[in-house]
Amino acid sequence: MGLIFIRTVIIFIATLIVMRLMGKRQIGEMQPYELVITLIIADLACIPMADNSIPLLYGLIAIFTIYLLHQIICILDLNFPWTKSVVSGIPSIVLNKNGIDDSQLKKNNLDVSDLIESLRVEGYFALDAVEYALYESEGTFSALPKSNYQQLQTSLPIVLIDEGKWDDENLKYIQKDRAYIMDILKKQGCQKLKSVLVMTVDGNGKVYLQQKGEKYKVFYLGWESALW
Amino acid sequence: MIRTLASILLTFGLIFSVSAYESKRVQTTFESFEQVLLTLYDKTEAGEVTYEDGTATERFWENKKNTLHIWLPHSAILEIDYQLYEAVGCLYVRDYDSAIPKIEILLGMCKNIPQSYRFSFENIL
Repeated sequence: MGLIFIRTVIIFIATLIVMRLMGKRQIGEMQPYELVITLIIADLACIPMADNSIPLLYGLIAIFTIYLLHQIICILDLNFPWTKSVVSGIPSIVLNKNGIDDSQLKKNNLDVSDLIESLRVEGYFALDAVEYALYESEGTFSALPKSNYQQLQTSLPIVLIDEGKWDDENLKYIQKDRAYIMDILKKQGCQKLKSVLVMTVDGNGKVYLQQKGEKYKVFYLGWESALW
Repeated sequence: MIRTLASILLTFGLIFSVSAYESKRVQTTFESFEQVLLTLYDKTEAGEVTYEDGTATERFWENKKNTLHIWLPHSAILEIDYQLYEAVGCLYVRDYDSAIPKIEILLGMCKNIPQSYRFSFENIL
């Protein structure tokens, strides 16, 4: 039984480390250690139940070990804040007043399209409509909109460049070619496509452009009429 | 907080005592079974063994294995059953030469099984 105890502790810690390394993408409304418990405990309960050759006590000891570890983590969380950041992680601010923080996105194995999707789920369609956006330690998404955010998202923005890569479908949709967009980029002081973190345009011709490591810019393309 | 601490201590105490009891229980059970097997082995080697000695060993094991099912995987116990029944079968037909290797296997198992559940680095990994 001592072996089962030690082996359960090792498996628990290893699974927790992997979950933390995978970032917030793999979690979802649970703290990493809670997800680990959910993942492990189902199997622990099932194996001795289904396999008659394994003593029931093997499963029980492992389940009690998981309970013990859970209680220890709870105590550490409450009394030593630094352990909370190690075990559960800290919220990641992925969008701030300067725009998207791609280093925070990368840390959590997320990309710009994941962020845009999360914002849409929260009801924010324009990247400039949001002051701050963050992924909580348990993987949920929170956003603080600008006070006038409703005026900033009058038309649906679509992505033209996502982390240095063209979205040709969307280019066709706005009936423009790559040369037209490259021309706009050069006017904005952006020489290389690779340096563009994100570029979106909405139906009114409002462009959100952010180069890697720089503050975002918002400008209008001067379309004669709204495209959508 | 106090309740959580108490639950931690209680659970740890429970796991520790069950583990210690299991280790002791398995060890002593196999030690006593080994003694019985050694006597059977000596008698078989000397040609003084009877079928009743074999069945007495069987009864001893049957008695012990009931509690071992709580602590050990049943497949390990079945393996001992199999070897023991074979050895006693050989004693019934007075085939002592065939019985001796089977008793030796059982003696080896008496050493190996408790070892494979002992608290050691190779067992943890």
